[in-house]
Amino acid sequence: MTALPWDAQAVRQAADTVLAEALYWFPVRHHSPAAARHLAAAIERRKPKVIFIEAPADAQALLPYIVDKKTRPPIAVYSSYRDDDNTLGLAGIASPAAEIPPRFSSWYPMTTYSPEYVALKTAARLGLEVVLMDLPHHALIEPANAAAGQAAEDTTTLNRYPEDQLYQRLAQEAGFRDWDEAWDSLFEFGEYSADLSRFRKELATFCAAARLGSDPARLAADGTLARERFMWRTITNTLKTRKIEAAEAMVVCGGFHLFLDRQDPQPPPGLPAGSTFNAVMPYSFFQISALSGYGAGNRAPRFYQVVWELGANPDPDEWLSRHVVDIIKQARREGEQVSSADAISIAQHARMLASLRGRAHAILDDIEDAVFSCCCKGDPAAEGRYLQRAIDQVNIGKKLGKVTPDAPRLPLVEDFFHQLSVLGLQDTVEQESRITVKLDKRQDTQRHQSVFLHRLRYLQIPFCRLVEGSTDKLASGTLFKEVWHIKWSPEVEPALIENNLYGDTLEAAVFSRLKDRLAGVSKLAGPTCRQLRQAVDMELPAMVEKLELACEQAIAQDERYVSLSTALHELQMLQRHAIYQHQAHEVIDKLIESAFDRACFALPNSANAPEEEQQEVIDALRIVSEALLGTEQLDQALFIHQVQHAAAISEIPFLQGALLGMLAELRVISIEESSQALAGFAQQPAERQLAAGDFLDGMLATCRTSIMLGADHLVNAMQVLLRAVDEESFLIMLPRMRIAFKRLHAAQLDSIAGLVAGYLGLEESKQLTRLETSVKAAALFAQIDKKVAAIMQEWEL
Amino acid sequence: MPRKNTATQDKGAGRLRQPAEIQYREQLQALASVDDTDRPENWRLSPASVLTYILGGEKITTTVKGKKKTVEITRKFYGDRSIVERAIVTLASDRALLLVGEPGTGKSWLSEHLAAAISGDSTLTIQGTAGTTEEHLKYSWNVARVIAEGPTADNLIPAPTMIAMQQGRLLRFEESTRCVPDVQDALVSVLSDKAIAIPELPDANMVWAKPGFNIIATANSRDQGVNELSAALKRRFNYIHIPVVADAKTEVQIVKQRATELLQRYALPTKVPPPVIELITTVFREIREGKSKEGVSLKQPSTTLSTAEAIGVTIESALRASYFGGDTVAGEDIARNIVGSIVKEDLNDLAALKEYAKLIAQKRAANNKVWNSFYQGVQQVIRQ
Ligand SMILES: Nc1ncnc2c1ncn2[C@@H]1O[C@H](COP(=O)(O)OP(=O)(O)O)[C@@H](O)[C@H]1O
Ligand SMILES: [Mg+2]
Repeated sequence: MTALPWDAQAVRQAADTVLAEALYWFPVRHHSPAAARHLAAAIERRKPKVIFIEAPADAQALLPYIVDKKTRPPIAVYSSYRDDDNTLGLAGIASPAAEIPPRFSSWYPMTTYSPEYVALKTAARLGLEVVLMDLPHHALIEPANAAAGQAAEDTTTLNRYPEDQLYQRLAQEAGFRDWDEAWDSLFEFGEYSADLSRFRKELATFCAAARLGSDPARLAADGTLARERFMWRTITNTLKTRKIEAAEAMVVCGGFHLFLDRQDPQPPPGLPAGSTFNAVMPYSFFQISALSGYGAGNRAPRFYQVVWELGANPDPDEWLSRHVVDIIKQARREGEQVSSADAISIAQHARMLASLRGRAHAILDDIEDAVFSCCCKGDPAAEGRYLQRAIDQVNIGKKLGKVTPDAPRLPLVEDFFHQLSVLGLQDTVEQESRITVKLDKRQDTQRHQSVFLHRLRYLQIPFCRLVEGSTDKLASGTLFKEVWHIKWSPEVEPALIENNLYGDTLEAAVFSRLKDRLAGVSKLAGPTCRQLRQAVDMELPAMVEKLELACEQAIAQDERYVSLSTALHELQMLQRHAIYQHQAHEVIDKLIESAFDRACFALPNSANAPEEEQQEVIDALRIVSEALLGTEQLDQALFIHQVQHAAAISEIPFLQGALLGMLAELRVISIEESSQALAGFAQQPAERQLAAGDFLDGMLATCRTSIMLGADHLVNAMQVLLRAVDEESFLIMLPRMRIAFKRLHAAQLDSIAGLVAGYLGLEESKQLTRLETSVKAAALFAQIDKKVAAIMQEWEL
Repeated sequence: MPRKNTATQDKGAGRLRQPAEIQYREQLQALASVDDTDRPENWRLSPASVLTYILGGEKITTTVKGKKKTVEITRKFYGDRSIVERAIVTLASDRALLLVGEPGTGKSWLSEHLAAAISGDSTLTIQGTAGTTEEHLKYSWNVARVIAEGPTADNLIPAPTMIAMQQGRLLRFEESTRCVPDVQDALVSVLSDKAIAIPELPDANMVWAKPGFNIIATANSRDQGVNELSAALKRRFNYIHIPVVADAKTEVQIVKQRATELLQRYALPTKVPPPVIELITTVFREIREGKSKEGVSLKQPSTTLSTAEAIGVTIESALRASYFGGDTVAGEDIARNIVGSIVKEDLNDLAALKEYAKLIAQKRAANNKVWNSFYQGVQQVIRQ
């Protein structure tokens, strides 16, 4: 780091020289009410023929919409760039794969009190010309050869304000905590704030110090010099072609650029080829706040809004007490015990701190410290948590901007509104309340609506939420039903805008997003098949083909039983859809077959799965066994064989129980046999006996309908077991047994209801016997469970 | 002893320990001589000068007995500037100040210096214990004379609170949360009425606080009582949390400065070389944090290992060395004192130290003389 220049004379001289130029330079800081106020006055007084403003030149065409009466800040100019032909060579480096074009975007936010916005409004009112003079952001993206080897730095959000670091250092040297504190105590509210020419002069001097202390190599590297070449070229060219005298023009920019090199012979960089989009979009105070991580963030957008609205020379006590009262109110909402008496103490404390710190008025730093002094009864990081949150909320606020409807929309946003009206959903826009939409995908319009909503959901546009998706419960007839909640919010448009680079239409955008994600995800069968289903939900036929191929490969490579069975489940859902819609499903059939086979072979790998995976394994067992129902296509014998094999090698009682239960469910063994295995624990040494509860739990997890047929055996086995174990072991086994019975209760309810509802095709007599057996079984289990519960109660468990 | 540095405890003839206002008289006088800004009534210095006195870093040229002299204001308290600013501002406001934090973070030390700078007197102190009564707080009677003459103003013995009120000075209330609720209640009335009633006296039975009176209390956040301050009292105090010194460099600086000052005061010829101070601070820090610089995780003992303890060990090691005729502190001196300071009640803490010696000290001993001598020392002490 270069040393700071404390040659005060050189610094003053540098500032004076620029301020004496015929061209009128006005240094500003982003989102500063004081700068905005003085700038507006300067424009009013000078009425220049042209005003150059440090804002991206490619936003020039958007100016009318920014100053439009119906536009209400906070807003942002959004600029984006897509390198379609890989001119920068960053494909695969700044994008997920070589065939995917890299995309970059940037935001240029404005509040009502941003000097740039105020300058635009004032110029519009006075009919003065404005020229945006900053280099478009995509001209600064480093091409691949420069970035070679290293991962591209976060190029998607370029740091436009590298000089802030220098200001920070200067401020600290001068004894301030940070640049924010220095700014507020000197320029926003302090001695330099009152008078226009003093403000301009002192700010220019401060920036001169930062400029003289900066390292030219860094300025070259961070793009400052490139931008300044562009700015200076824009200024001189415009003046020349318009035949405007320098004295009739005005430049509004960060004070750092007052000292740009007017003799720099190097031309500004060219703009790389590709697609660019620009738009004005609504923005929020949160997005502008430093907390959102945005480079030139403002630490308290709402606070400065209040100050701005109080007008020129506001009474500092006015906003001090307002701000303190707001914090107190919010802190109360956060559950803090604070009172109006505290408000008085805080204000007093803040004023005294300010005076000790050499300030005429309290600023944010003093107020915040005072809040902690007076209200935080302990460690600010612990007891002060909620206070801090209250302060942040009051500082930042919730304001959202609005953009005139006359502003041109980006293609994707256009497509969104177009689709809304085509699909008859336009009424949802600007609605305050949430709307519930029930769709049946067998009807064309509703299917189109579903596709539209699925696409928005995939792009994470905060507009709709899938509340009930289609399920595989054929009986309840929900295969084609969906329930959605739709609610308009001001965040919808910004979210769409951010997706614009992915395509001009929703279809194109989801297509490229899916492609990106496919390039990125690891090749697991489950997630890949889920993507296939999403592609079908979103009606992307071209993507479906690609994904079918990807699924085939993923299934062939995957060796995880759980992932493969998830794949199987997703595929079967697709198959059922296809069957009911009379669509071709040969490809899916094939995928199902291979997923099933692979899952069977992978099953023994899971026979000794660690505890945290066991529940997933059991769920997967049921998925695969249910897949067998009602189809000849799958090789039941293979599954049975693999379950047997897994049962033989499993050393985990819970999984053993589940595997034997599955065999009973498949009628490979009888309930009698599996119950014997349970009773077998009675002959085991005491410490093995304890695992009987786990075993039973596993068994009841998979064995759901057949258990009803052999309930007597299970009851007997339980009795054998209970007789054999001693009191202490029994105590340990109990809790697990009760969990097992809870499962059974749920299963019974299911299956008894299922019996009644589902077997209408059976002969009445058969149905009755089944019903009878299960009722009897249910009674028996209830008996055992009651006994167990009684014992537990007796032993005060 | 150096580790108990409350002013009240070492009053008396031949005291080793002078209160801050005497020890730093020269600095206080120098500051007063150039201080012409506004100050709260009965304050000896303006808030800005108090801040300078606590944070140091300025040289002041003044005339002492007709001669020009430059006095350096030394740094007293190491910590965030805003902590000290907030403390000073609180004392000038109508709220009292409570410094709260872990033991050994310099709360009493800061309190003493604030009282010295603001009131020129840091000795009006109450030590909070379970046995502290309202009498310790307000006043008591000369019993013999009351029996003879009845209660008169002359027979009343004012306690520090009453003196502080009468003189418009600061009262220091150490370990305030250790007091029983009755005493806390008495404090509430002192703070809200700014007066003490003496019902035994027929007339003139109110003592009013002069401007400048306020209270600096300290509380240990490890004491259970700290959360039990009554709501009424809580409201009247601004709490300022004093954190454990965040960075190693500052901690070394504190230990170095305090140890040097204390050794000078005891006129000890012994030198504590800087690497030794760094070693002591490092040992304390690593064991306190349960992690070495290299990231090895360590057992943590049950005792707190504060900066204050590190200063104590440094001084005691020096005392021990000089007693045994050495002129520099040796590894064994440090080892002995560290063992004593870490292993206080709980023998399990010895295990923590053994582990530290084995995992950390031994490695560093291989190529560092100071660490080697420390490691040998620990081995020796542990063996005994
Ligand atoms: N931040 C600090 N600045 C200066 N001295 C400190 C600091 N922390 C601890 N000390 C030193 O530690 C010793 C004991 O501190 P003390 O005030 O008794 O701690 P506490 O009252 O917080 O328990 C004092 O000699 C003091 O100099
Ligand atoms: Mg103390």
